[in-house]
Amino acid sequence: MNAVLEYPDNVSASPLTASGLVHCYEGSNVLTGVDLTLTPGSVLGLVGRNGTGKSTLIRAMLGLLEPLAGSAFVFGEPALKLSDEAKSRIAYVPQQPEALAWLTVQQMLDFVGRFYPRWDAPFIRTTLERWKIQPNRLLAKLSPGERQRVDLIRAFASQPELLVLDEPAASLDPVARRELLRELALRAGESGTTVLFSTHIVSDLERVASEVAFLHEGKLLLHCGVDETKERYARLWLPAKMTSAAPSQSLSRRRNQDGSLSLIVERDRYGQWPQASTMPGARIDALGLEDLFVEIAE
Amino acid sequence: MDASLLTIQPNAPDPIYRQIVEQLRRLIASGQLTSGELLPSVREVAGFHAINPMTVSRAYGMAEAEGLLERLRGKGMAVAATRRTVQSESQRMALLESQLQELARHANELELPAEPVLRRLAKLLGD
Repeated sequence: MNAVLEYPDNVSASPLTASGLVHCYEGSNVLTGVDLTLTPGSVLGLVGRNGTGKSTLIRAMLGLLEPLAGSAFVFGEPALKLSDEAKSRIAYVPQQPEALAWLTVQQMLDFVGRFYPRWDAPFIRTTLERWKIQPNRLLAKLSPGERQRVDLIRAFASQPELLVLDEPAASLDPVARRELLRELALRAGESGTTVLFSTHIVSDLERVASEVAFLHEGKLLLHCGVDETKERYARLWLPAKMTSAAPSQSLSRRRNQDGSLSLIVERDRYGQWPQASTMPGARIDALGLEDLFVEIAE
Repeated sequence: MDASLLTIQPNAPDPIYRQIVEQLRRLIASGQLTSGELLPSVREVAGFHAINPMTVSRAYGMAEAEGLLERLRGKGMAVAATRRTVQSESQRMALLESQLQELARHANELELPAEPVLRRLAKLLGD
């Protein structure tokens, strides 16, 4: 039998895919079966509360840690046995870059650049200047925000087909964050770069992501287009005396102190909200992603 | 037209592509954008607002399908020539419909009769 047949069909078409990923640390489950497939050219924002396993998921998908169960593929290759060719098409920026801290900014970029066939040296010069980073400074002496910016420059300069960023905005100020989002958005649109980034700043995600996935209690709760998510889900509020009319199907259900109910509901296939929303006193609230996330992650 | 004429609120419940189409409708209905006027490129809008270019394309595509915009070969998007610069009263009224419904809902929640609300509105409108 041909060895290639061992892999699922959609694997080779997707830049990054995972199926049934399970992992735990010291007995507590972090991932309890995650399936995720990135569409080429998409920008996927991965949201989740702190400590929900976003970094673990990312590292397992890239083959940087071996999961207890499940598999991950990058450009159709098993993540744990990537070829150098596949590696040169990926750029990954960890949450706290620490590698090669004894080099200067320029030395590190020159060194790393040798491994990438499409290294964009002019981009580095202009971006270091624009982001006000002196090339002769030691990486170890940079602030966390500067260190993160250097690593982002390194990632962009390799002109990757797949760009994976773990909390890229964590140490950046609002101006630097906006610059990063602009760079991300234009890269995805023009070079067709596929992007996966994790964040807990939902408004960043709403600007540039084309898709959003919520990681909650070890599972992906939702994986959907950003626009579709906003149009398809809403909060239904029912006063206390009407809670018996609540639809049985809802993404989350919260009873408020006065006995009223807040539910996250979904449009049916005709685009209608559940019947209960039309009753007098009931209310449908359109939600931004942040509110939606808070409602279902609470 | 300049990309800065658009306001984008990423965290609003309304998707960004709808926000763009809605603003184009208003700008065209009010005559602030006139027939033949060129729109900023997808890249300019995406770069200025740091939003995904696919979102801008989607908005332009929808506005084109609605007849608000037309694609000029080699020049990009422009305000459609066939459209009267200033729309009829009923068309402009239709653009206000969702806000009017919102206002009516608030007034009902406050159990206000129609008359004082209308009086106040008339005053605001400068009647």
